[in-house]
Amino acid sequence: MAKLSLKGIHKSFGQVEVIKGVDLEVDHGEFVVFVGPSGCGKSTLLRMIAGLEDITSGELWIGDTLCNDVEPRDRGIAMVFQSYALYPHMTVYDNFGFSLKLAKAPKDERDRKIREAARILQMEDLLDRKPSQLSGGQRQRVAIGRAIVRKPEVFLFDEPLSNLDAALRVDMRMELSKLHDELGATMVYVTHDQVEAMTLADKIVVLNGGVVQQIGTPIELYQRPANLFVAGFIGSPKMNFVDGKIAGIGDGAVTVSTSEFADATVTTGATSLSVGDKVTLGIRPYDLDLSQTGAISGKVKLVERLGNETIVNFDLASGKTWLAVLDGDVDIHNGGTVALDHDPDKAVLFDASGLSLN
Amino acid sequence: MTTMAAKPIVPTKKRKLSRRAAHYPIWFIYPAAIVYGVLFLVPTFASLYFSLTRWTLFEAEFIGLDNFIQFFREPFLSQALLNTVVFAALTSALKVILGLALGVLLTSNIVARGFLRSVVFFPVLVSTIGVGITFTVLMHPTHGMINEALAFIGIKGPGWLTDRHLALYSVALVDVWRGVGLATVIYIAGIVSIPGDYYEAARIDGATRFEQFRYITLPLVRPAMFTVIILSFIGGLRLFDLIWAMTRGGPGFSSDVMASVVYKQYQAGYYGLSTAGNVVLFILIALLAVPLNWFLNSREITR
Amino acid sequence: MKWLRKYGLSVLSIAVALVVFVVPFIFILLMAVKDKKQASLLDFSWPQQFQFIPNLIEVIQTRDYMLLTAYINSTILTVASVTLLVFFAAMVGFVMQRRLAWWTGWVDFFILAGLMIPPAVVPTIWLLQILHLFKTLHGLILIEVAYNLSFAVILFRNFIATIPRELDEAAIIDGARPLSLFFRVIMPLLKPVTVTIIVVQSVAIFNDFVNPLYYLPGKENATVQLTLYNFQSQFVSQYNLLFMDILLITIPPLVVFLFFNRQIVAGMSAGAIKG
Repeated sequence: MAKLSLKGIHKSFGQVEVIKGVDLEVDHGEFVVFVGPSGCGKSTLLRMIAGLEDITSGELWIGDTLCNDVEPRDRGIAMVFQSYALYPHMTVYDNFGFSLKLAKAPKDERDRKIREAARILQMEDLLDRKPSQLSGGQRQRVAIGRAIVRKPEVFLFDEPLSNLDAALRVDMRMELSKLHDELGATMVYVTHDQVEAMTLADKIVVLNGGVVQQIGTPIELYQRPANLFVAGFIGSPKMNFVDGKIAGIGDGAVTVSTSEFADATVTTGATSLSVGDKVTLGIRPYDLDLSQTGAISGKVKLVERLGNETIVNFDLASGKTWLAVLDGDVDIHNGGTVALDHDPDKAVLFDASGLSLN
Repeated sequence: MTTMAAKPIVPTKKRKLSRRAAHYPIWFIYPAAIVYGVLFLVPTFASLYFSLTRWTLFEAEFIGLDNFIQFFREPFLSQALLNTVVFAALTSALKVILGLALGVLLTSNIVARGFLRSVVFFPVLVSTIGVGITFTVLMHPTHGMINEALAFIGIKGPGWLTDRHLALYSVALVDVWRGVGLATVIYIAGIVSIPGDYYEAARIDGATRFEQFRYITLPLVRPAMFTVIILSFIGGLRLFDLIWAMTRGGPGFSSDVMASVVYKQYQAGYYGLSTAGNVVLFILIALLAVPLNWFLNSREITR
Repeated sequence: MKWLRKYGLSVLSIAVALVVFVVPFIFILLMAVKDKKQASLLDFSWPQQFQFIPNLIEVIQTRDYMLLTAYINSTILTVASVTLLVFFAAMVGFVMQRRLAWWTGWVDFFILAGLMIPPAVVPTIWLLQILHLFKTLHGLILIEVAYNLSFAVILFRNFIATIPRELDEAAIIDGARPLSLFFRVIMPLLKPVTVTIIVVQSVAIFNDFVNPLYYLPGKENATVQLTLYNFQSQFVSQYNLLFMDILLITIPPLVVFLFFNRQIVAGMSAGAIKG
């Protein structure tokens, strides 16, 4: 069973610390996605697991082996690169078989493994082609095939879909998902695209500035973000925020007063709150509804009608812009005013340091 | 950050070999380093010492700066020093100007452009000695084709290689003939890399052909021009084979340059003096070419 | 008038190019096939007698088939030194491009020095004598390698910079050790620049006169350029043979040029715009 554990992993390039202590447990067969903005360290972390970067401090365990100083080839991993990194001078067959050839596997065993990978990926009739004769999606599959052939304990993916066009990306996403089910292997996947993260992952690791912000299932991250960063990063369109104060405490709920609109009620189990505490209120655009008596009102700036839904940009009293996603056919126009209500169960509160209070 | 293939690593000396470095082992450079170190660097450093000696290859007697003093005392040696600089300056200037003209011409819409490019470039690939001998014959004062052609239109041609005031310049002309093709292809590479949009924009702005050359081609071809300057200048300072094939430094010492002096002194058995000539040439290149290189590079950056 | 404006410059250019650049080669060809007497006139005239074969045979037979030996020597010299150059330089270029260490700056400095500094001739001879390499072909081969390394390294390094590092990493994960990484993954991808270097350096080393003159003196193991130099004094009255020799020496670069025109021009202009 190939568990993957990271214990207090640090990485510095010279004076610059890019990974500031990461702890993570990945179970066998889990699909884990590292997500975060550019420069958050997610690729560096993946490359440390692969053995392409040194680990400055901390422990990396793959299965029962401490892998800090193990060569990449001996770690039982395979990696799919963003640019695919196919060997341009080799056929698909030789691309698949290169690792086996280097490991001096017998020819018939090599052939069997290559053909099996080709079967899984349905590329049997492309084995004689060179990478330059393949389409983007086919190249992507060769890159995956090259990983499959090695029968690794852990698959590593570094933004593998970012070079594909939107339609193909959706297809490949589904194929990857199927592949994961079929192979049952542990997969670690890096992306900056939260849709990929949400759709593929069993477990998402949100990184920012070299620090893990939150680890959880996609739904946990969406519904119960641990802090302002995760709340803002996960979900599209982005969550709306406003600063305010606790105005009253009731039974399992609090009232928040803001300078933008009248008091809003939020369901929370937090007990440590007291009146007057500074908080940040977060409400997702999907959790706002039109209501004549709605407390949240503003001036409509832009209406985007997508057919199934309508995205409304509106300015609050101070000029701060919020978004609301409403039904597909609502009678709202630029320059008018809009009054909205929110769902108290779905609103989230963050304390002054940005941590969740729900 | 994440899309960057290579992140800069800051090397520290006292660290165990980094994972990356281990895949690019230092011993890959050993074969080259040994050959280069032994056959190029060691003699170069040794020359600094031997140039201060009277040397028979077996014994070296230290005589301080005598060899160098001789270079500035003996007229035929100081003449060579002057000739070297004149030759390098003249040939590189001509190559820079003619090469640019040819580069512009051979990127324009001219008939038989490919043929002309090949014809201009081919002399670069021909044996220098062969070129030297051929032109020595062509420049023969009485029977040579050049002077016969001049006589045909009523001009009495000079003794190209026999006139002591002219020999160096005649060789310089042949060197330009042989080397202008290289300058031209460097210019061509520079000119074709200028995006065509600029010319279209300039034409819409109403620039004439000359203004397009003056305000677009000339400034943007500057890196190529600097390359030509450096390359032909250093090449000119080091030139030996063409001069040796054509004049052997003659008549007298009138077309001697440093490289031919080095050979002559070597043949005459003055090994210390010959080596001093090498060092003088080395210093000459360092004094002239390195600042030139630095100056041209700094202008390139601020452009 | 319209015609003149459109084609005037072209016609003028072609005419000038023919006179300046082509006539000297036609002159070589004509001289090489003339008989001894007509050749000694040194003029640009049509040969009265075509002596191609007799001249060829005579020049080859001169001094005990010296030209033949020289051709063999030059071929060995060119092939051996270019082969070594390609491997040595590619390995240096690879490590230099991929690694950044405290010593890479020094290597850069030495590469530039190799391009600019004239070799110290007499100390080199002195050293070659100590190493018993003076007046030997293998000594000269190593000399050519040493003197041409800088150029080849710069070309290789610039080319390797265009090969994505992810390819190395894919190979490393696939289990490639440094030697297989270099020879199985990188080296095959260097083919275009390798062809350029082979062609450009072959021509340069084949045409080299100065280094054989210094480091391979003596009649018995001359290179082709030295035969020309030797014949120059011997054939003072036999210009037809001298020019036949020039012709024979010009043919190999011409053939190479006809086949590899593009690579030569690319290599020379790219190598010149230094890394």
